Amino acid sequence: MAECIPSMDWILDFYNYRVVAQFLPEFGRGVLSTMEISLVALVLSLIIGTLTALMSVSASAVLRNIAGGYISVIRSTPLLVQIYLIYFALPALPLLDRRLTELEGGIIALGFNAGAFMSEIIRAGIESIERGQIEGAMSVGMNYIQRMRYVILPQAVARVVPPLLGQTAVLIKDSSLVSFIGVFELFGAGLTVLSERLMPNEAFLTVAAGYLGIYYLMFLLSSYAQRKLGGAYA
Amino acid sequence: MFDVIRSTMPFLVEGLWITIQISFIVIVIGSLIGFIVGMVRAEKVPILSLVFGGYIHVLRGTPFLVHLYVVYFLLPETKIAWLQFEAFAGAIIALSLYTSTYVAEIVRAAIEAVPRGQTEAARSVGMTKLQCLRHIVLPQAVKMMIPPMGGIYVIIIKGTSIVSVIGITELVRAGEHAAQRHPSFLLVIYGLVALMYFLYCYPILRLTRWAESKLGKVDVSL
Repeated sequence: MAECIPSMDWILDFYNYRVVAQFLPEFGRGVLSTMEISLVALVLSLIIGTLTALMSVSASAVLRNIAGGYISVIRSTPLLVQIYLIYFALPALPLLDRRLTELEGGIIALGFNAGAFMSEIIRAGIESIERGQIEGAMSVGMNYIQRMRYVILPQAVARVVPPLLGQTAVLIKDSSLVSFIGVFELFGAGLTVLSERLMPNEAFLTVAAGYLGIYYLMFLLSSYAQRKLGGAYA
Repeated sequence: MFDVIRSTMPFLVEGLWITIQISFIVIVIGSLIGFIVGMVRAEKVPILSLVFGGYIHVLRGTPFLVHLYVVYFLLPETKIAWLQFEAFAGAIIALSLYTSTYVAEIVRAAIEAVPRGQTEAARSVGMTKLQCLRHIVLPQAVKMMIPPMGGIYVIIIKGTSIVSVIGITELVRAGEHAAQRHPSFLLVIYGLVALMYFLYCYPILRLTRWAESKLGKVDVSL
């Protein structure tokens, strides 16, 4: 028994799982918060992405330019600066009559950021359906809704879902940046452990494991989607 | 307002210069590591290929912010002498590792995009595996790697903003300092910071798109 103790000491020295267990509720809240923030930002980004994708394939040059400008600005500036601009620098919104809270600011910045990347994926999906498909559907007498329902959407969705899931994984990782403006999420839980116990190993290896867990779930989801969708994109 | 711009501009430019330096060092080191990892993965070197596969998945599955903290806080904790670096080196190391995963995937995709017949033909005229790689596969693959590298460079530039958190006075940090001096001009200051990033990144993105149209696009998920 006596020989066992030094080796245990070494593990406790490097990674004190007892401290981690003590902070487990924090990490749990962090994971939940990260998933909530990502989910809301995902919905926002899909709305923005779909709208701007439709704008960028529209006939109007003005709409195309607005969408193109939005995507260029987002892609050429860091997310951190976008978060700071929306949270710190945006004055009180006229409709809200108050400043955004940290959580709202963070989610809006994340949504607008991811929206630009979603937009490009969705646009590529729309453009990948050949003209002949639409013409073929019209020639067998399908109306607009039938064409969308049976011909275009099934193909577009099959092509778009796998890369959208990949972008969602990026969004989840990016959500760690909202901890900069004081939003509590998984990374923030790590910061709590660091500041209360000065234990960076316990703090950040656990955080890394949490993100890896989420990433693995996304990976399973994406391979399931690829199998379900007939590997149209794989 | 113009007073604020005039008085903060020199600091922001200094920050931008640090951002440029970091991004330049990182693209060189990150590409070197990524090139080796990508080659090993494409050539399916036994064991190493698996190890590097794990390396890529772990780095891809965690945010860069976590890499930065692990490199900056954890490695010096090990008390190994050559892991006792200061913030700047820590930032370079973390960003280079992060970059290498992107480069590795591009290198692998580009090598795998060279048609099999090319390798078979080279091997059948008696070239060794290395000769075939050196004279036949790589010259074709490198051409395909060029356009996506522009996208990676932009990812690095944007990534440098995060190293402000460990106290490196790059562009965002310079902006934060300026914001503390002029708290009522946050919109102007962060607007200027964003503009500087835009002026640095946008031409590269345009160049990337141009290169794609010239050299073709390799299908790789970033």
